[in-house]
Parts: sequence; C-alpha cells; structure tokens
Amino acid sequence: MAGVWILAENRNQTLELLSVAAGLAEKLGTQVAAFLGGDPQLAQEYISCGADEVLILPPLAEDQPQEAYIPIIVEEARQGDPDIFLIAATLRGKEMAARIAARLNTGLCSGCTALQLEPTGEKLEMERLVFGGAAVQTVTCLTRPQMATIAPRTFAAAAPVAGRKGQVKELAPPPPGLVKVLERKPKVRQSGDINEAKVLVCVGRGIEKEEDMALARGLAEVIGGELACTRPIAEEFHWLPEETYIGLSGQKVKPDIYIGIGISGQIQHVTGIRDARFISAINRDENAEIFNMSDCGIVGDLYAVLPELTRELKQALKK
Amino acid sequence: MMLRIITCFKWVIDQADIKTAPGSRELVLDQAAYRISDYDRFAIEEAVILQEKYGGSTAAITIGTPEARKSLKDVLSRGLEKAYFINDPSFDNLEPSQTASILATAIRSQLDYDLIICGEGSGDLYAQQVGPRLAEALDIPCATCVSKITIDGDQIIVERKLDDGIEVAAMPLPAVVTLLPDINSPRIPGLKDTLAASKKPIVDITGADLGQHFEPCLQTVSILASSMKRNGVKFSSDPSDISKFVDAILKTGLIG
Repeated sequence: MAGVWILAENRNQTLELLSVAAGLAEKLGTQVAAFLGGDPQLAQEYISCGADEVLILPPLAEDQPQEAYIPIIVEEARQGDPDIFLIAATLRGKEMAARIAARLNTGLCSGCTALQLEPTGEKLEMERLVFGGAAVQTVTCLTRPQMATIAPRTFAAAAPVAGRKGQVKELAPPPPGLVKVLERKPKVRQSGDINEAKVLVCVGRGIEKEEDMALARGLAEVIGGELACTRPIAEEFHWLPEETYIGLSGQKVKPDIYIGIGISGQIQHVTGIRDARFISAINRDENAEIFNMSDCGIVGDLYAVLPELTRELKQALKK
Repeated sequence: MMLRIITCFKWVIDQADIKTAPGSRELVLDQAAYRISDYDRFAIEEAVILQEKYGGSTAAITIGTPEARKSLKDVLSRGLEKAYFINDPSFDNLEPSQTASILATAIRSQLDYDLIICGEGSGDLYAQQVGPRLAEALDIPCATCVSKITIDGDQIIVERKLDDGIEVAAMPLPAVVTLLPDINSPRIPGLKDTLAASKKPIVDITGADLGQHFEPCLQTVSILASSMKRNGVKFSSDPSDISKFVDAILKTGLIG
C-alpha cells in the first residue's frame, strides 16, 4: 500500500513516528503502515495510535542480526511503493535506512529534526543539522519514497484513539544472510537515564581528575539531577558510561535544567542540549562559547565554585 | 591471505572556520580551511594497524573537486601506501547517494579489495550513509559502529557497539566497515612521514573516466546558521554572585 511507512526498533520509537506519519498521511489523504518486530500483541496498539496496516516482521534465527530484515522490508516497499518512509535513527536504524534507501535508489535525510509538506504539493521539506550542529540544512527528496531517519524523542508519542481499525499482515521470514552474529553482550546500565532526567549536571574536560567527579556528583545529588558528560569524558577517559555523553553523535536531551561544568561549548556537544529549557554553565574562561548559549553562568574556577554552589543550593533546598 | 584494504576519507571544511554573515544566517565559507574529516582519521589509522598485524596493502580513496588534491599528501603521511583521487570540477556538494555511487563505480573498475573502511560519518554532513550505501552498491556485507576488528582467514569478525549493547558478528570478505572513534588512537605524522608521503603513488580518476552521470536523490534547499544564542547573564565566583546564580536557577521553578 502506498502512503507513509514507518520502521522503528521498539514501541516508544514506533509511537513517536506514528504521530508524525499520521499527521502527514492526513494531509496527503493516504494511509500509514508500521513495521513491527518483536511482540505481535503491539499491533492493536499501533492501529489505535494511527497505523492503518501493521506489517509483522517474523522472528529471526539466533545468529541473524536485525539487518537481516532489510531484504523483506525492501521487497515490501517495492510492491507497496510508499510515498514516504520514516525510520527511527537508532544506531542500527541509521544503517538499515541507508541500505534500504540504496536498494530503493532513493534519497535519505539522515537525522531529520523537523519536516513539513510544501504548501503546494506532496514534497517534504526536511531539516537536519550539518557542520556539527552549526548549521541547518533543508533538503527535499527527488525520488520515491522520500526517506528520513528521525532520532528517538524528537516528536511526542501518538495517543490511542478508541475504535480505530486496521489490518495486520505477517511477512515471510528473511533469508539467511552473510552476516552471522556470534555473541550478544547486552548493555548493563550503570547510571540513571539521562534522557528522562529533568535536571542534568554535565561534566566536560575542565574537570582534571577522575576523583574530582565527586564535586559534580555532589551537586547532582543536591538538586536531584543525573550526571552526564561530553564525548571525551566517556570515550577517552571512561569516567562515565558511554550512554551518558551528550552531543551530535551521542544523546540528545531535553532537561528542564542543564548545568555545564568545565564545558567549553563545542558545537558537537551543545547541539545535544539545544532543547533544554534552562541552560547554565560554570567555566573559568569568560569567553567560553558555552556562555553564549546559556541562560546564566558563573565565570570562575569550578574547584572553588562547586563546593560553595553545592552548599548554597543544599541550604536553599533544605536538604 | 593478502589483505587489501581501502580507506575512504573526505576533505571537509574546518568547522572552526565557519563564519556567519553579520545580521543574517548566511554562512561565509570562502575563507575556510579544509582538513581530513576527524572521523576518517580513525579509519586511516585502523588500515595501518591492520596492515602491521596481517600484512597486505593499503590505499586511500577520496572524491572531490581538483582543489581537494591538497588532501592527498596529508592522507599519505598518515601511513597509507597509495591514494586514489576521484576528481571533477562538478564533484562539489555531492549528496550521500552520489558519493556512494561514484566510489562504487571507481572501486569496481580500478581497485582490488578485501576490506573497505569508513569513518562513522563525515565531519560536515554527518549523514552516515556512504559506508552502508557503498556496501549495497558493491553487493558486499557491511557492519557499522565497529569498535574492534579481527581478521580470521577469509572472514572478518567485528564488535559493534549498538544502543542495546555489543554485538559480535562474523562476515565473509570482502566487506565494508564503519568505525567508532574508540577503536584506536590515530598517530600524528612526523616530518619523516610527511617527506615519505610525497614519494607515494597517486592515481587520478576523473569524472570522464567513470563514464556516467551521477544524479542526486536529495536536493539542498538551503543551509543556514543555526542560532543557539541565549546570551544570559554572567556572574563572578564571589559568594554573593554564586547566591544570585542559585536564585536564577531556583526562580525557574523547575527544581524541587
């Protein structure tokens, strides 16, 4: 079936894409189809939340990666000829989207942050960040289907509508592929979820030693926040788990309050906090870029400021 | 086996040089310097590491306008043995499907390979499409987000760091991999490396040599500066100023 198709790895991502897809389908006078891997029980919920058809991906063999679904998704798209195909921009989703787009000979807007239909027609105008977040590129897709990957949590989840009807179709199992999974090591969460946190204390390279992380941790505890960091803190120094680094290639967060400690404000990092409601920073360099994009800040040595700040906040919050 | 490695790299605008025209969102790029995309440095280094470990050959490949020739000495100073330069005055502002098609066409006609290595994304567009699209165009397997590589006979074993954990996978060569930056620490070339680079072979491949046109699938409507400016108030580290900072945070009503 033509229309707006979506593919995501889990329920939350699917519901977010369904809200986007349903909006577009209404304007185009067409329908929404959603792929569903995993629990087939979710099909009815997806239909309630805007899907007109749910395409069920059958279970994979033990040694098959998720990417093994690509041939059957592509085959379905060749037959159904969707107008628009949106895919959740998870790490896996980004690879799958690029390969699906390649097989369908079509264009793909990676990491789409906003999209709208042109006033006069059926073309999507899609925005994405380039140059590490310093600029916004607006693109249109010249081929069919118009494809985009959209990062999780970019849009609100669709809400269910009682009595909505739709169809469910089970797809054939994918053929064996060349890539064999030998082992899976699930991620052990070592920290709170920075995506859900209302308050984030974020650490950058201004922190000199791992033991000094205690200063930031102390502040986070007092204001009920989670600790996050820039990419080098997680990836080079391993002071915090990798799922806590914020930025273009890491997490994009939307906390109410962000406090950046020893963060210079490199565009790759601050791109991940642009949707924070209140941004504040502590840095000894008064010309640090982070101050330009902060609502307020302290120019000073974090080693002097943090103990005092934590004490003041503790008193004010009576903890 | 003799492992023949190709590393793809991109010559990109140095982000530090991106300026905005006063009073507008227009980008001013004409004074900008170019550099090898940071993510591609890991792909270059990994090729050198794999060659040290398993032998075989290494080559770099890039696409650009003739001005991108400056990138070749730089890439060769980083340890790769040979550079393929696909260039044409029209190869400017290519979108990922074009880049992948051009690379695939050139590689298919001119290069022998077992392993193609790409960075996780380019430093300018960061679309993260070229690696996977190239694999599809060459009809070979692909793994993204790779943080470890082992060659085992005629197959490659990769560790992929994904959202939900690590996946260890095996695939037959030839294959494409895209790397995460934590896979290695790129060496900084010394004077000797730079001197050696100027003696290494460069193969020119022109647009005409490829014998076909590469139409875009995406059209750029605009590229404008993204403003994140909030220009808030700056306090000093005096205790009285720290109190004001605390007040400012509490006044938002978003804590507690």
